Amino acid sequence: MTKRVSVGLIGFATIILFFSFVVYCAYAYNLITFPFDYDQGEGFELVDTIMFSEFRYPYQNTEAYPYYSSNYPPLFHILAVPFVWLFGNAYWYGRLLGFVGTLISAGLIGYAVYRDGNVRWVAIFSGLAFLASNTIYHIGPLLRQHMTMVLFELMAIIIIARAFPSQNRRGIATGLLMLVAAGYTKQLAAITALAVIVWMILRNPKRGIIWSAIFAAVGLGIFAWLTFDTNGEWWRQAIVANVNQFNPFQTFDLSILWWQLHGLLIIPAVLMALYEIYVERMSLYTIWFVFAVVLGAIGSGTWGAGDSYFATAIAAMCILSGIFFSRWIRGDFTLPEHNPYSIFLKPLGTKWFIQSALVIVPLIYIGYGITTLKMPAEGAFFGTVADILRIEPNVMGRHYDSASYDVLGYANIGHFVTQEDHDAGWQIVELINASEQPVMSEEAGFSLAAGRDVITNPTQLRNLYLAGLWEGSEILADLEAQRFGLIILRAQFYPTPMLEVMGQHYGITQTIRMNGFEYLILEPT
Amino acid sequence: MANNQENPETTSDLKHIFSENFTVSKRQLGIALCAIGILAFIGLLLLDLVGGGREGGIGPTQRAAIALSIVLAVFGATLIPLGDKPA
Repeated sequence: MTKRVSVGLIGFATIILFFSFVVYCAYAYNLITFPFDYDQGEGFELVDTIMFSEFRYPYQNTEAYPYYSSNYPPLFHILAVPFVWLFGNAYWYGRLLGFVGTLISAGLIGYAVYRDGNVRWVAIFSGLAFLASNTIYHIGPLLRQHMTMVLFELMAIIIIARAFPSQNRRGIATGLLMLVAAGYTKQLAAITALAVIVWMILRNPKRGIIWSAIFAAVGLGIFAWLTFDTNGEWWRQAIVANVNQFNPFQTFDLSILWWQLHGLLIIPAVLMALYEIYVERMSLYTIWFVFAVVLGAIGSGTWGAGDSYFATAIAAMCILSGIFFSRWIRGDFTLPEHNPYSIFLKPLGTKWFIQSALVIVPLIYIGYGITTLKMPAEGAFFGTVADILRIEPNVMGRHYDSASYDVLGYANIGHFVTQEDHDAGWQIVELINASEQPVMSEEAGFSLAAGRDVITNPTQLRNLYLAGLWEGSEILADLEAQRFGLIILRAQFYPTPMLEVMGQHYGITQTIRMNGFEYLILEPT
Repeated sequence: MANNQENPETTSDLKHIFSENFTVSKRQLGIALCAIGILAFIGLLLLDLVGGGREGGIGPTQRAAIALSIVLAVFGATLIPLGDKPA
């Protein structure tokens, strides 16, 4: 009887998680075919890729025309360079790389769960649960380096978790190399690096320190070379200007949101971690999970950060919860005799507890699938599904991601773009084409589509300004002299002095709506 | 979980800290975390005394950090009774 119920529930969980995967693929396809910025900043990542394809660094002096620089490490953009050579300037390949990276990450999560848990359907659910997460869903198919960092982190963790205890030198070296790759994809990988170092030292201080020193030497060697080769701009742009203001309320909001969306898998992940901490021996997954949750949550509160800072924690959560479920199903929790906390573990040995796993585990995945559900409520296919299931939009405007966008730092993305959005983008490009002067756009995509120079990177100028590293006399003079035929604003991330000068010398002539956002078109007054 | 099994040849005797067989025990980890938590707690309170002239007193970030330091100290203390088992 229990088995029949279990099979039915597993089937139902499969349908829900697979449907979530279909929505994710549809969203990815929708974005990959969109030729402009969807998430603010994607275009500048494309600019970095283009510069690398021309063997130039994007870490430039922002005091001289075109006042452009980047704060992103190079690896993701270097990986996309062959696509620039083959296909020119386009968003699709960067988004495709990000999307494929998340699929590989899901596969790696499934592999890790199966390797340690040995229950195939739980391993598959763990991978699908990763893709079903609202956070992974909405940043996965973007032209952003974040999910590629998570992919490298996963590779590193899965390799080192086995290689270090078995003293497999080649494995450890490969894992640490993946960690260096993660760090040079995005600086946030420092959290995972810290977790790995702490775990290695806990297992064996001598070998841990030696391997950490080798890892640090390689990482710092690349760092020193980049700093030297860019005349210090790498240090200035990617490190010094990257320290942003911390808002504890943003951390709090995002942590609550992370819990609300993923609570059903956070609980088993925490239970697995506690079991390892108090009964067994801590695996790398547990230390990684703890570091990713605590430090990722703190990091999410900085300006420019957001829910994406939980992506690593979500990957670790999916692995740990999957291992917990697998061991629960297999009755693989031991009850130590000489453990002061054994009293809390007594239920683990009961027959009822083990048998209940076959029903409770699929129920948890069903619950998780429902909690993280997000889908369009219009269109031929999704509209019909929404009608049948009586699903109505539960958020304002177009951002139908089931997480609220009232939460500080939660990206206002996740919706599908429409033909109107395509048309609006091309309308802005036509305005640029009609201008004979240089055009300053807050998003690079319009300038790239028009074949114009990409002038400035607003968030980078803002960061430099707040860090006291931006003077801006030349660009301010350009603005005062009205040397830009058009200025296109969306979020107004430019340094305050620039916005003030814009206000004095330019006026809004029209507003164009794209992706649910208002793009302000400014012309000289 | 092969990578998580205790190796019977390991030691947590600090005299052998740089040997191939040494591994940090749960008790040692617990003591370290407890000490870090207590020191962080004292440090965070002292920080407020040192900056006594500032307006606003203990802010939300500092309060969260103090709470974290207490959690860390208590968590560390609960590991101490687990003895020489590998962390």
